[in-house]
Amino acid sequence: MSVSTYPTTPALPGRATNMTTNFSRILKGEWTKVRTLPSTWRTAVFALVFSIGTGAVLVISQASQWHTMTPAQHATFDATSCSLFGIMIAAVLLGSLALRSVTAEYASGMIRSTFTAMPTRRLVLAGKAAIVAAFAFPVVLVSNFVAFEIGQRIFAAKHLQVTLGHPGVLTAIIFGAVAVSLIAVIGVGLGGVIRHTAGATAAMAVVIVGGVTFGQLLPASLRGYLPGTALQAAVTVHRSPGILTPGTAIVVLGVYAAIALAAASIRASHRDA
Amino acid sequence: MIEAQLLTKCYGKTVAVNGASFAVQPGRVTGFLGPNGAGKSTTMRMILGLDTPSSGDVRVNGKPYHQLADPLRSVGALLDAKAIIGSRSAANHLTWLADSNDIDRRRVSEVLDIVGLSDVADKRVSTFSLGMNQRLGIAAALLGDPETVMFDEPINGLDPDGILWIRNLMKALASEGRTVFLSSHLMSEMAQTADHLLVIARGRIIADASTDEFVNRHSAASVRVRAVQQGELAYALTQRGALVEGAPDGCMVVTGLDAAAVGGAASAHGITLIELAPQVSTLEEAFFDLTRDETDFHAGQLTGSTKGN
Repeated sequence: MSVSTYPTTPALPGRATNMTTNFSRILKGEWTKVRTLPSTWRTAVFALVFSIGTGAVLVISQASQWHTMTPAQHATFDATSCSLFGIMIAAVLLGSLALRSVTAEYASGMIRSTFTAMPTRRLVLAGKAAIVAAFAFPVVLVSNFVAFEIGQRIFAAKHLQVTLGHPGVLTAIIFGAVAVSLIAVIGVGLGGVIRHTAGATAAMAVVIVGGVTFGQLLPASLRGYLPGTALQAAVTVHRSPGILTPGTAIVVLGVYAAIALAAASIRASHRDA
Repeated sequence: MIEAQLLTKCYGKTVAVNGASFAVQPGRVTGFLGPNGAGKSTTMRMILGLDTPSSGDVRVNGKPYHQLADPLRSVGALLDAKAIIGSRSAANHLTWLADSNDIDRRRVSEVLDIVGLSDVADKRVSTFSLGMNQRLGIAAALLGDPETVMFDEPINGLDPDGILWIRNLMKALASEGRTVFLSSHLMSEMAQTADHLLVIARGRIIADASTDEFVNRHSAASVRVRAVQQGELAYALTQRGALVEGAPDGCMVVTGLDAAAVGGAASAHGITLIELAPQVSTLEEAFFDLTRDETDFHAGQLTGSTKGN
């Protein structure tokens, strides 16, 4: 080999330098990764069982205590959000699934295979986020519908039930699923920033239940903007002060998701893998 | 084809790779030889765009790695066979790789067949031995039928059958006109596998030559010989200007004459030979000679952490 002379003109754009083509392959590869892990399907089943079960338990307890509640409590009673309470469990489980899709690769070192096969790292993270969000959505949608139906049948004994046709109910069920999808995106972001399963899981727990623990230190008006509180707001029909509307709650979660994913992208692009 | 120009990587004060310039040519097996910590893996990670060079430039098939369209179709690499999530099956691991680069899924069973893992295609990777992991890693590297293949210490964890298999595979890939680049710290292995050597020590490329040339240049050839009439042979060889030393096992080690000349001398004197073998461990000696100089020269640079980030 004599002295190598590199072309000074940029390389011709190949098939995969087209970003759309590139991203569709990333989605294909990342979906294959997610669906071929047995833990993915286990998590989906757990999310369904535990979120439906938790909702049913809360509904039974609320129904049995109805006669001991104050008139004020009766006035703010929300049969929809009560039956959908298990969405918190679904969010924890699916959020953890999302963050593990990143941290498991860093832990095993397989992230290097990923970035060798798909060198555009920020698109890889965006692809992972899109896949886990798309996976979480139908799971939560199904669990919300089932939990709602079971809850309303239990409430019917006390004539507290609402129907799907009630204003805001369908919104709560669908926006709840969107909210968990966004939490899955936050999970990918946390996984990409923290890179360790234990640390990222702890951060995820704070994101979801932080509102009812550390969040109590905040004024009620700010507490509504915490991700866990926004998640609950997305499934709330009864409007009360300090609770965001479902639409605003989705926007707030979307902002958190964008920030988390951007932070993970910056970290992935500027670090050696 | 892999081309590096003044490739340099620093981790803090430690210079892992120091101004490496080289070209790995197609059609032959190029061995990347150096002791552990010499900078082999760092160089390979930079080739694959995993680590960003501190300065300098490296290209594969004429392009920086991240500009390759469908990189797995251009370059197949095995860095660390254990760096894999164990709960997927071997076939599924290859399937996501294929999907990410638009490679036909039928290729998955083809490469599993090539590496001899067809029977365990649906077994979880966590149940694999290191040797099976190496084979799976090689299958992944071959998946895109790439024109350049790169393997970091592929011999590790393989049994003798596996080593022979890898050696033949590397040669076959090179004979198909591919660029084959493999690293090792085992000099004897390289002597048998590589056509060309790139020797690295303390981050510097200290030799870039054909394997034969490297051995000839850096070591005196020697021949192991054993005869029924040891004393007569020693005398005859010394007369011909050779240096003869006794080995602990009763053999003689002859330098200054090649095996043909030793055999000729024995024949001329009617001496019966029991054993006659050109020495094959000379690459190792040559390597130690070369790296010893390099180590002395750079002894002042030994301070600082050797750990990457």
